[in-house]
Amino acid sequence: MDRFLQELTKGLWKELPPFRLLLGLCPVLAVTKSASSGLGMGLAVLFVLTLSNAIISLVRGIIPSKVRIACFITISATLVVAVELLMQAYAYPLYLQLGIFVPLIVVNCIILGRAEAFAAKNPVHLAIADGLGMGLGFTMSLTFLGSIREILGAGTWFGHPVLWEGFQPFSVMVEAPGAFLCLGLILAAMNYGTHRQISRRNREAAAEAPSGCGGCQACSANRG
Amino acid sequence: MKSILQMILVLSLLCGSAGFCLSYLKITTASRIESQALTFVQGPAILDVFKDAENSPIDDRRAFTLADGSSVNVFPCIRDGVLTGVAVERFGSGYGGDLGVVVGFNIREDTLAGIGITTMKETAGVGTRVKEPVFLRQFPGKSLPVKLRNQGGDIDAISGATVSSNGVMGAVERAAAVYEELKPLLLETWK
Repeated sequence: MDRFLQELTKGLWKELPPFRLLLGLCPVLAVTKSASSGLGMGLAVLFVLTLSNAIISLVRGIIPSKVRIACFITISATLVVAVELLMQAYAYPLYLQLGIFVPLIVVNCIILGRAEAFAAKNPVHLAIADGLGMGLGFTMSLTFLGSIREILGAGTWFGHPVLWEGFQPFSVMVEAPGAFLCLGLILAAMNYGTHRQISRRNREAAAEAPSGCGGCQACSANRG
Repeated sequence: MKSILQMILVLSLLCGSAGFCLSYLKITTASRIESQALTFVQGPAILDVFKDAENSPIDDRRAFTLADGSSVNVFPCIRDGVLTGVAVERFGSGYGGDLGVVVGFNIREDTLAGIGITTMKETAGVGTRVKEPVFLRQFPGKSLPVKLRNQGGDIDAISGATVSSNGVMGAVERAAAVYEELKPLLLETWK
């Protein structure tokens, strides 16, 4: 059970797909014009990823290793076409919004990456946890990025106006360059946070054991 | 040898079952997808053309076969129990590929009831201006055939977007041909 939770939560922060692993950036940059399309894309990936992980883990015993990539691609492509058909049947406006990026989920490297790195080597329940966690992390990231871009670029959030009247939207944020700007700033903020955390931990460690190497402080000075 | 056979077997089984699942899903969702596409792609344009329809032009649509064997969806507009107009969607060639236009006709006067753009890939800000009311509102009430001003008609093309304007006119022309061909049949169908 511990293992299950661990696999489930690693995708939510420690290995957050777009911001930590920098995987699957094509849809991250392209469809996050609004929070709702980011959420829709995220849910489509969540669905495909969880099911493909589950199926691949189920059949991992019978797939010959020489043709495993072909098998993984067949399974994920089938699931993506299924998602496309279901989206057309039950969420047509979302399908119009996402357009070509729904079929492109097949080539999203998260899907094949998790299949090869995790699902092909682990039992079904862990593969499902991994898929759910990674998918949720992906959905969160896309919704977050989409929210920032929509709020700054259009003054709305999920289609509702949230900023004061007379707010002049930065229309660059909903264009392609806005995606790069936003992603870059988020990565910078996350790296800064991680860096500070590490240097604080080092300082604490140095303060706890100053006599460890004669109290010369040379190592912590280097680290700073 | 054994491993090759195993590979062939596993891949064929996998692809076979994938194909089976997908064709089953495709068949079960086909009719729903068609009505969704009509509601969200053609729907807004049709309802814009027939603002005063008392029926639902999309739900009451009928497919007709043309002389060349192709099939076309016709959307009727009924008021006071009488068929007053019909709309068909046809495509013209725009700057960025096919340009879909819904063309509505007043069946009593043989005039245009209005047109609406459904799908297009025109240049943003140039060709896409064919969707603006300034251009579209020239069409209602015009008698057939309609032509651009430089071809002896009275429709003003959008300056700078001649190809897109011609694409719309091409679609209107094709729709008019369908209308002329089917008119007796249409009056028969919705009496």
